[in-house]
Amino acid sequence: MKKSTALIFGYNEYTFEIEKNIKSVYEHIYILKLGSDGEDSFDLSDNWDSLNQKVNIDDCVAFCILEDMAENIFLTISLRDTFKDLTIVALSEDQESADKLKLAGATRVIPSTQTTANVIIDILEKPIATEVLHNILYEKSNLKISQITIEDHTLFDGKYPTDIEWSRDHGIIIMSVYHEDGSSEFIYSSKASHHIVQSGDIFVVVGYDEDIKEFEKLIGTKCEK
Amino acid sequence: MMKSLIINFAYYLDTSSSYQKTKRFFYNLLENSDYKYKKYFDIFMIILIFSSVAILIREVKSHVNDSLLFFNNYVISFIFLIEYILRLWISSSVSKIIISQLEHDVMLSDTFRFSKALKDILFSKLKYIVSVKAIIDLLAIIPFFHQLRLLRIFILFRVFKLFRYAKSIQTFTSIITAKKFEFFTLFIFASIIIFVSSVIIYVMEANNPNSSINTLFEAVYWSIVTISTVGYGDITPVSAEGQVVAMFVIISGIGVFSFTTSLIVTSFTEKLDEIKDLKVIDDIAKIKNFYLVCGYEKVAKEVVQKLSKRNKVIILEEDIQKVEAAKKEGFTALNYDPGSIHSYKKLRININLQVKAILCLSHSDVENVYTALTIRSFNKDIFILSILKNKANRNKLNFAGVNEIFYEKELVGIIAKEFVGQPVAFEAIHALRSNITNIDIEEIIVNDRILQSFSTVGCLENIKYRIVLLGVYESSKKRFLFNPIDSTLLEKGDYLVVIGNTQFLKEFNTHLHTKVSK
Repeated sequence: MKKSTALIFGYNEYTFEIEKNIKSVYEHIYILKLGSDGEDSFDLSDNWDSLNQKVNIDDCVAFCILEDMAENIFLTISLRDTFKDLTIVALSEDQESADKLKLAGATRVIPSTQTTANVIIDILEKPIATEVLHNILYEKSNLKISQITIEDHTLFDGKYPTDIEWSRDHGIIIMSVYHEDGSSEFIYSSKASHHIVQSGDIFVVVGYDEDIKEFEKLIGTKCEK
Repeated sequence: MMKSLIINFAYYLDTSSSYQKTKRFFYNLLENSDYKYKKYFDIFMIILIFSSVAILIREVKSHVNDSLLFFNNYVISFIFLIEYILRLWISSSVSKIIISQLEHDVMLSDTFRFSKALKDILFSKLKYIVSVKAIIDLLAIIPFFHQLRLLRIFILFRVFKLFRYAKSIQTFTSIITAKKFEFFTLFIFASIIIFVSSVIIYVMEANNPNSSINTLFEAVYWSIVTISTVGYGDITPVSAEGQVVAMFVIISGIGVFSFTTSLIVTSFTEKLDEIKDLKVIDDIAKIKNFYLVCGYEKVAKEVVQKLSKRNKVIILEEDIQKVEAAKKEGFTALNYDPGSIHSYKKLRININLQVKAILCLSHSDVENVYTALTIRSFNKDIFILSILKNKANRNKLNFAGVNEIFYEKELVGIIAKEFVGQPVAFEAIHALRSNITNIDIEEIIVNDRILQSFSTVGCLENIKYRIVLLGVYESSKKRFLFNPIDSTLLEKGDYLVVIGNTQFLKEFNTHLHTKVSK
């Protein structure tokens, strides 16, 4: 279920970039500074009463972006300890802090240094493929990447994903399949096909907006874009 | 008349491309250690030196073939003579001295003073002739006059010529030279001990009938043998006074010996890093297509770690501790300031020919701007990528001529959006990026060989090879064709953007390049 409120813990340059990018996704965004003064502040004392009064925590996603990694990990543990079901996205500096943040209960960790290094290398080694990926991922062109949940598998009549002419018939390219049990595989991960299309499968597809909409109509499922 | 002929001839030589080319060729061959053929010349000369010495040793007790003697006395000597003349020729430029003198005189509205120019020419040539290396070269030619038997020992001077050709010997010499003051002090100390002990032992022992020290020469010989801690034992003091002197010399000998050893060791230790750096610089001069990383911090470490799997990477870092940290990781790192032109000159890096791209990865925008500006001041074309730490400095990096600016915080913002918007799609792209599931994205350039067999997208058979063809980048139109139809024509220079298992990608690439006819 989509959440309507974002809580950004930390006030630094990352705060503005994250706020700029997510403001179209969330109805309310709260930026909370580390400290004991003011309404929009928080401390690491494990007392989240004021936050609970301010927002419905079940409808929130938390972004832990404190630049001091020890404090960021402590904040993540503190939030996880209090709010068992809260989605926590945490920023990590390196692999070591990423591992600790995962242990602390972060739902998703963004390793800033590693991601930066990966993108720099892609720009140098695969400039064209990187540009194409960026255009798709960051919606700089009409191409979009979407995830489509199959609700009625009978439409595919017991076929394997690789047997369906997605690109010719529907103008879209299937990248990978996420199964209901949480496992995932790239569309051509092995030479043999093991998995028949089933209800609940999520297909990650790339295509033009209109083709994806057409496909959405065909399978009667709302795509998440 | 004579003067004008000389001036004309000097200008002719100075402007003659063939003359200058020939002179440059010999200069490179004899003096330029970066010249690729110099090492072959050096090896050839080393072989000549060793064969010459081998013939000399053989000749001491055996008969040597006349042709070998001829080779040793005439052929090798002649080659050395030619080399000597060539070195004398390239040591200075006669034409340049004449022209310089002429221009100087014209500037002062004076008549051309040929005598002054001649004096300068003689001085410059003489300066070369009296240099140690030139003297050794000259002495190595002397065996040419082999009739004088004594002169044959000069063949050994050919061994000293090795200094010219073996770099390690040059390094050793430079290390010893760096400590010349200490060695000189040691020499003076040892000389005084030898002198004093020789005189005392002579006074004490010369009149003793049982002593084998009868002359001052024998006393000096005994002192040197003792102080050097060799102690043959052929000459020994017999009187109690002489033995006291011997004890004094032996103790002094230990001091001299340990001082010498420690001096050499210290010189080597002090110069070790410099020697290693020189070796690295020499190696770098031979590398082509490497990435130059300026600054070594967290991002740089990650980038270098990943980049060095497939590429050569050189790191320039001003902070010695960071250089050491990079070296510990097994990277090639040099303690040079990336923001100084002097560093690039010293490293002898030809940016256009050797460097693929320059990455300014310092965590300080000031340093990255400074480095980019330094590089742009002498190279307009090289691709420069820089990270940006403070958004306010983006324009400064643009102004400094950086081609690609990378702002980490912006990336984090975009990733956050993707994650909250489409977590599954995000995971798919992330997996593709980091290659954690062995699925990779690649771009394959369409060359003549591929075009011979595959003229359209439909012929590629990517499905058969379990490869997703995301699209074709048309280089001529600079556009990306997503999911192209089978009849799309391929052109030379286009890129196929494909996704697949790493192994399947390899097989597909091989298929594209090996299938010649359908």
